[in-house]
Amino acid sequence: MTTAHAVDIGAIERELRQLWKENAAEAGGQAVTRALTLNLVARATDSATADMISAVVQQLTASHPNRTVLAVVQAAAEPWLEAYVQANCLLPSRGAPQVCGEQITINARGAAVGQVASLVLPLLVPDLPVVLWLPGPAPLDDPLLGRLRGVLDRLIVDSRSFTDPAAGLLQLATFDAAEHSGPGNGPQAPALSDLAWTGLTPWRELTAQFFDTRPLLPYLHRIDRAEISYVPADGKPNPLEGLLIAGWLAACLGWSPLSDGISVQGDTLRLHLRRAAVGVGPSATRPVTVEISPLLPNHPQITQIAQMAEQPGLAALHLRAVDGVTADFSVVRADEPGYALTTAQVAGQAPVRRLARCEQPGLADLLAAELRLLSRDRTFGAALKMASAFAAHLE
Amino acid sequence: METTTLDNPLRSGLRIGRTPEPYTMVIFGATGDLTSRKLVPALYNLARERRLPGGFSVVGFARREWDDAFFRQTLLDGVNANSRSGAVEPALWESFAQGIFYHRGSFDEPAAYAALAEQLAKIDAERGTGGNRVFYLATPPESYPEIIRQLGAHGLGHAPSGGSTRIIVEKPFGRDLESAKSLNQQLLAVFDEEQIFRIDHYLGKETVQNILVLRFVNSIFEPLWDRRHVDHVQITVAESIGVEDRGGYYDSSGATRDMIQNHLTQLLCLVAMEPPVVYDADAVRDEKVKVLRAIQPITPEDVAQYTLRGQYSAGSVSGRPINGYRGERGVAAASQTETYVALKLFVNSWRWAGVPFYLRSGKALPRRVSEIAVQFKTVPTMLFADTPMNAIEPNVLTIKIQPDEGISLKVGSKVPGQAQIRPVTMDFRYGTSFGVASPEAYERLLLDCMLGDGTLFTRRDEVEASWSLITPIHQGWDAGPAQPFPNYEAGTWGPAAADEFMARDGRAWRRL
Repeated sequence: MTTAHAVDIGAIERELRQLWKENAAEAGGQAVTRALTLNLVARATDSATADMISAVVQQLTASHPNRTVLAVVQAAAEPWLEAYVQANCLLPSRGAPQVCGEQITINARGAAVGQVASLVLPLLVPDLPVVLWLPGPAPLDDPLLGRLRGVLDRLIVDSRSFTDPAAGLLQLATFDAAEHSGPGNGPQAPALSDLAWTGLTPWRELTAQFFDTRPLLPYLHRIDRAEISYVPADGKPNPLEGLLIAGWLAACLGWSPLSDGISVQGDTLRLHLRRAAVGVGPSATRPVTVEISPLLPNHPQITQIAQMAEQPGLAALHLRAVDGVTADFSVVRADEPGYALTTAQVAGQAPVRRLARCEQPGLADLLAAELRLLSRDRTFGAALKMASAFAAHLE
Repeated sequence: METTTLDNPLRSGLRIGRTPEPYTMVIFGATGDLTSRKLVPALYNLARERRLPGGFSVVGFARREWDDAFFRQTLLDGVNANSRSGAVEPALWESFAQGIFYHRGSFDEPAAYAALAEQLAKIDAERGTGGNRVFYLATPPESYPEIIRQLGAHGLGHAPSGGSTRIIVEKPFGRDLESAKSLNQQLLAVFDEEQIFRIDHYLGKETVQNILVLRFVNSIFEPLWDRRHVDHVQITVAESIGVEDRGGYYDSSGATRDMIQNHLTQLLCLVAMEPPVVYDADAVRDEKVKVLRAIQPITPEDVAQYTLRGQYSAGSVSGRPINGYRGERGVAAASQTETYVALKLFVNSWRWAGVPFYLRSGKALPRRVSEIAVQFKTVPTMLFADTPMNAIEPNVLTIKIQPDEGISLKVGSKVPGQAQIRPVTMDFRYGTSFGVASPEAYERLLLDCMLGDGTLFTRRDEVEASWSLITPIHQGWDAGPAQPFPNYEAGTWGPAAADEFMARDGRAWRRL
């Protein structure tokens, strides 16, 4: 890592060029591949977050070598601005060239924080996507987002870290709908990624899979009840992932919320919706209930399975159809971490069970999955819109 | 009003594709190498990546006196040794293995098929497989006709109760045009063409699938992809191993049947074909068949001009000694079987007339490498006086299939500070650009079969068209004089005559 105190754009680029020359020399003539597939701008407000971001970016080099511009902004009385450059290289595997990305870290304190955006813009590599990653509780209020919005292709947040999940969901849905006027809105509006949603992918896959089997598909249109349970982080109930899953089911299956759409009983939320009734005429509807509840420490399932308490997140998803033939589809986290047991049970038939991977991916994996996306995730948009409609009742 | 549709609404926006219906895969010859080295590791990895539904089951059908427990243990050892994801995850394997069963029987024993039908019905009831079956012929090809006949005789050719039945046939698919036709007739007496999946694992490789993507998604290559701009095409599939323990089979087959008829012909088709009207099984295969029909057949009289054969003698590859071919077990002492073959083919279409396609494949060559190189014509005149015209290397677009999957383009460039021009290579490697391990060919192909997508499988007319090009070559060779075999040392790039074969056209094989 090389240090440069003078904040001069020309100097940063020159330092980077020097860095590549040194790298090539160190590699002893072996090829060092500078492979950049995107610009990743990230913001940290303390050094612990900055270290976390740097570590994640290192891991990302394998799948998405990039130019990272990390802005570390902190309050201070005296203004202070400095920049470092470094190359992020993978240990070369046998016979393969070494792949490196590059990282520029900008430390800004006090009044200098306002200059960060002006420093970031000229450092972006032309003709590559620009992704802004804002970890933390209130990303949409971040001034950096306001300044960069016009050049952004994607904004990545994590709604699991929002202090007020209901308000946060509403804000995200508004951002995703890009209703504001001004640069970076309309069709050019940046795509939105929420790592909380990304983490639900295994659950969505395992749930969707039941209904790829043709004889089971009709039951999907007859679901009357969904039960979602989760293990709260630090014992504090947060229904956010449950709301996203409920929003996803409702958006995909055409369930519409009733006007008195939500009831709260302790930490349990009950969403009241309706769906088209199957086989009884075009306007008939049937009620659907979605229950979202935390597994608290005194819950029998939690005390049986010690690991569960250490792994917050979804714990079980049940879909039940009682309209006509009874059928029950469930994905339940297994005793062994990283797996889930899936069961499809239709009345009168043997249950079909299997253990499947249901990994809890780390941050780098979640980011990598979102960076693979080139366009807007419309399914997420629809699920978010529905989830924010539920959240509006919680406000 | 019925609101159910055929589409699963929960699939929308998920990055992995639809999961197939739950099938029971019956593997004939399940105690063989292919099952534990390729098939079951591929199935396990599909299950691991959530690509298979609950209920998916495997029934191994073979003669040996094994039982479920021994079969499962053998497969577990096979997966641990051969899976691209490393040793199995025990919890996952345990769940997967609950659906693995062994069925002992001889392929010609009617009772064994009656018992198989019962076992399949039991699995349908207990594991929800709904009458869906894939029969996988992984036996020596001599057993194919008997198995196909018995399946038909026991009503296993078509599924009960709305399920679907498919059959996968491993290579070799026949040994000449007549036997391929006869195998097709036997299959079609029991199954419909849509149920038959003739596997060529080359088509399951990501880089091979990428040939069509490269050609038909990028606008810069297609305008150059014809006789006006391409000088010639070289397709190489080189193996560094000898025949090892396959001597008995190989000696009755040879490089042409083993590699050219299937893998190299497929590669040629993908490079030479016209864009299909849509990307589906029949449209893609229609275009491939058109290429095969446009290839000018090498008649028995022409073999000396358009073909070249070799057989390796003892030598060493990468420091490892290799026996001479004739010294391998199962090989005749005076064997005339070729372990190296080179062909020069012409595709008589408007696009390709006059452009030679050179195909070569061999065993005991210095490296394991498969690639397609499209060599473009040189510039008409030299502008830079300091470099002589003959020092200009033509542009070459190389599609590397293995081992380093990727694409490279050779362009001429100025040497800094000097008046010289040197070729430089622009390299794109899968490994570094995507950072994701490619799935094994069998994973893709087994999944496609269960999804009913035959795009990457060989159709009846395709396999017959390809044999109708190969069979006259064998007739010509059989009628001609004996070859002075062995004529190349293991660990070299084939017989010296192979270089002359190219040199007389003023060309040379690529140094790989």
